[in-house]
Amino acid sequence: MKGAEKIIIDRRYCKGCMLCQSVCKFEVFEPGDERSALDYRMPRVAKIENCRVCGLCETNCPDMVLTVVAKTEGKENP
Amino acid sequence: MNPLGEKYLRKSFLPFLFCPGCGDGMIVQSFLQAVDELGVADDLVLAAGIGCSAWIPVYMHFDVFKGLHGRAIPAAIGLKASRPSRKVVVFTGDGDGLAIGGLHLMHAARRNIDMTVVIVNNQIYAMTGGQVAPSTGVGSRTQTTPYGNLEKPLDGCKIAIAAGATMVSRWSTAHTRQLTKSFEKAINHKGFSFIEIMSQCPVQTGRYILGSGVPKYNLQWLKDNCVVTKDYSQWGEVEAQGKIPVGDVLQIEKPEYMEEVLKMNQKVKEEAKAKGGDR
Repeated sequence: MKGAEKIIIDRRYCKGCMLCQSVCKFEVFEPGDERSALDYRMPRVAKIENCRVCGLCETNCPDMVLTVVAKTEGKENP
Repeated sequence: MNPLGEKYLRKSFLPFLFCPGCGDGMIVQSFLQAVDELGVADDLVLAAGIGCSAWIPVYMHFDVFKGLHGRAIPAAIGLKASRPSRKVVVFTGDGDGLAIGGLHLMHAARRNIDMTVVIVNNQIYAMTGGQVAPSTGVGSRTQTTPYGNLEKPLDGCKIAIAAGATMVSRWSTAHTRQLTKSFEKAINHKGFSFIEIMSQCPVQTGRYILGSGVPKYNLQWLKDNCVVTKDYSQWGEVEAQGKIPVGDVLQIEKPEYMEEVLKMNQKVKEEAKAKGGDR
């Protein structure tokens, strides 16, 4: 089964619109307390074990700050 | 910043000046995805007029120019005439493309010039503070129509089809994958391509028309109200239900204007040579 190794949120440019939380079907994100460099409350990666690397949060991020790094173990060409 | 952004965005211009949750950033990403898959980054020229959506090309590290308000299409035609090998993409908004530059859109479509026009429709004049736009729906409350809008909205896709565009699509920011495919088709298409994108504007459309400024409800509204159709014959049925039909509706072949100009140029030269003139 596919899984994510980590989800990187770029805190320089995030505007805290929380679209990543609303498009994710597996409840990976939740509102966090940390503030980005633009002083918006950023989402927090709460349940990374739920992630299926569908990429919806990446394509729906209006500020292009999300990067989902998939697990590479068990694959020949990472 | 995701890898696509690292590759193609101008870092010194970041962050995007779009409001939190604006659909324009999603359009940037879809477009970059299409360009990355096609590998046409060096051939592209992007043009824009004035408006929120006219900021879309500015962040991308391709050749970009900004024209006067609504006049990006004539300037892009001039560029296409002098450099026919470049692929020209014009980004305009609903005010820029349908109101101020509406006739330019029609005449570029009529001549079938090989270019792509992308209209980002957020149903309001967002940058200037939420005034009524030609694409605002009937009954919508805006800053200039506080008791509801009485004017019927203008449909950009139908204008493009009637004017003779050879590729017409409409998608929304809730359909980013399909939008990427549509961008790929439009860039490869020989002739006038028109893409209308229904986009969310949480700050103006959301607050004044849809009743909520939260981006996720605005995106949900687009998901609920945009119905994917297979072809143009289904549009009337969907519109009768009060929904917005989306989909790739038209792709046909017609003689392209710049090629015809070059052919005529060649023909006239040959005729003059046969007559013995020195042209």
